[in-house]
Amino acid sequence: MKGKIAAVALGVASALALAGCGGTTPNAPSSSTPAGGASSAASVAQDITFWVVGSDTPTKLREYLVEQYKQVNGGTLTIEEQTWTDIVTKLTAAMPDAANTPDVTEIGNTQSPTFTNIGAFSDISDMYDELGGSKLLQSFVEVGEVEGKNYTLPYYFGSRYMFYRKDVWAAAGVTAPPATLDDFNKAVVTITEKNPNGIADFSGFFIGGQDWRNGISWVFANGGDLAKQGSDGKWTSTLSDANTIKGLKQLQELQLKASMAPTTAKDQSPWLYINDTDSDIVKDDAGNVTETTPTSLAAATIMAPGWAHWSIGDLVKDTAGKDVREWNTEKFGTFALPGNDGKPAPVFAGGSNVGISAASKNQEGSRDLMKIIFSAEYQKMLGQNGLGPGNQDYVSSLGDDEFATALIESASNSKLTPAAPGWATVEGSAKLEELFQKIADGGDVTALAAEYDAILTPMLNGA
Amino acid sequence: MASAHSDVTTIHVGGAAAPPVARRRKVRLAPYLLILPAIIMLLLAMGYPLGWQIWASFMKFGLKQQFGAPPDFVGLANYVTIFTDSTVWGVVGRSLLFCIVNAVLTVVIGVALALLMNAVNKAIRLILQIALLLAWAMPVVAAMTVWIWLFDWRRGVINYVLTSMGFNFSNYVWLGTAMGLYFVATVVVVWMSVPFVAFSIYAGLTQVSEEVMEAASLDGATSFKRFTSIIVPMIRPVLMIVALLQIIWDLRVFTQIRMLQDSQMPLDSDLLGTYIYRLGVSSGDFSMASALSIFVLILTIVFSIAYVLQLVKEDS
Repeated sequence: MKGKIAAVALGVASALALAGCGGTTPNAPSSSTPAGGASSAASVAQDITFWVVGSDTPTKLREYLVEQYKQVNGGTLTIEEQTWTDIVTKLTAAMPDAANTPDVTEIGNTQSPTFTNIGAFSDISDMYDELGGSKLLQSFVEVGEVEGKNYTLPYYFGSRYMFYRKDVWAAAGVTAPPATLDDFNKAVVTITEKNPNGIADFSGFFIGGQDWRNGISWVFANGGDLAKQGSDGKWTSTLSDANTIKGLKQLQELQLKASMAPTTAKDQSPWLYINDTDSDIVKDDAGNVTETTPTSLAAATIMAPGWAHWSIGDLVKDTAGKDVREWNTEKFGTFALPGNDGKPAPVFAGGSNVGISAASKNQEGSRDLMKIIFSAEYQKMLGQNGLGPGNQDYVSSLGDDEFATALIESASNSKLTPAAPGWATVEGSAKLEELFQKIADGGDVTALAAEYDAILTPMLNGA
Repeated sequence: MASAHSDVTTIHVGGAAAPPVARRRKVRLAPYLLILPAIIMLLLAMGYPLGWQIWASFMKFGLKQQFGAPPDFVGLANYVTIFTDSTVWGVVGRSLLFCIVNAVLTVVIGVALALLMNAVNKAIRLILQIALLLAWAMPVVAAMTVWIWLFDWRRGVINYVLTSMGFNFSNYVWLGTAMGLYFVATVVVVWMSVPFVAFSIYAGLTQVSEEVMEAASLDGATSFKRFTSIIVPMIRPVLMIVALLQIIWDLRVFTQIRMLQDSQMPLDSDLLGTYIYRLGVSSGDFSMASALSIFVLILTIVFSIAYVLQLVKEDS
């Protein structure tokens, strides 16, 4: 009997613990009711919550937003950081609920269409011109647009470009960065075959089999697309399109002949394989290193988002004696993946949009925050911190170093995933990972494309 | 253990039997009152989601509905989709197999360790117990992170050790196939659940009386015979409940598989837990996820009903 009660008590305790996971978001109490007829310039002070995703927005920028909001609106801005892994889940749960929704939220650009199409965001078309209008990055504006109305706008953009080992390329006899996509494809196969350092399982170009986010660059660069919208508004998966097939076949060739990455690998930390020595370092509570697992050079080229450069370089000690990576221009280089038409290849642009929750009770305050985010001052601050500002007038604030140049160049022709209502579903289903792995395993591209077209088309149009 | 327990109970009941009948009736209410909060909590915490799931499983309920659109009643359509989908059956088959293999391995190793603990001297037993407790106390996510590092294809200790021993495991991708992923998951799941089984069984073993064992060995029973004919029947109730819990836990395994998949995801590696998560949380198809969850609930009940009935019978 005792045991049974204990078991039930345990059950209740765990039920309570589980229930506790749900409601962690503090409500943003609306401090006052909006006064009727007040002009938007003199909006009433409202306490609002802004969700940022990941740690990309630096602390300085967050503090700036909070201060400015206090000045402009008089209310308190609370910034809460969410993670990329469960942002879709959290938004799905919180946004329909006026008591729990963030008032303003960042959202991944590929996730935006799903949420804008189901009416999760407020229509802000009337502020569009005031917030930057045609100066805003248009590919991002499109994913926040439904039937000509604007719901989310570009917050910041990043881009993917190539990091390569100048020394290894040169040792394999390839001295200049490739000028065309075909050159690139050939060069990395040559480097793999020559393997100048005699490393086991060496990759001329390291790309995980399931890494579709980098892999679709070859589809885009050949004029292909993942999906197209018909005149009736319905989306169709276009993997079987001749150009898409051509791109997928090029990628398969690279997977088979240039990349020794596991075909189950995704786009996680490829820079581990391009550094001379790298290690996972485990430290104890006192900060002493207790364990290092060494890994070593295994790839001549990788494709990664711009911020990866912080993890690439020679291993040195900083003034505090900590291990840091120091970029060495003798050894490492960057270039934007070239297309075959003289322009950079259209790569998949990373980045975020930002919008106001339709369920928010604090629409006025939220609009004030949007104005601060799209102010010249804040846009420049984004650029100075290495984030591509949504307003193209301020791109120069990124600076002119090697990384800024590669970022701007690769972003100039970048593309987004289809703005279909069901895109988040497609990503969530992991079908693209499946398809790309099967291609990397050497499957029949044409047959696979047809098979996955049939799976993806219904998903694209949403439930 | 059962007999030992009932002995204790008898003494208590014997003590309580002294007061007059009238008073005993009054006291009888107390257990129900005491259990009431627990039942209310269970109903609130489990009843509502369960009710919602049953309701949603008959609807078409996606992201649109989550954002306020009225759901359409579709009757059994979601269930029909489940039962006609070969992917679902693949997932169900793999889950059952995974569950049985893991539960059996865990119980067998757990019993073996318990017997060992019973046989060795105090110092060694203490070391064994601490080792088991550490594995048991390790948070799942932390443990998984370490195991994923151990099995890393390029830098993992496992590949390094196997290669140093002369086997060619250089850059072997453990998580490259579903079988490999299940192998790693089995190692981790068994490693994490064995301590619970070992301790429960060991507690049961301490209740097996020395006299009976001594008498049996004097009568010439071999140690194997003593195990099957004395120990097992005496610890049967513990063994049964532990096995039942393992089956339920291993059928709804989630964290381990999900974290391995986050690292590398081979084709067709979903089990019921991760598949439902993929359907509902990742893809926003809440009605299909609900229908599948109800199916898993029924599956769990079918699996465990015989056990539960047996337990209830033995209890009375």
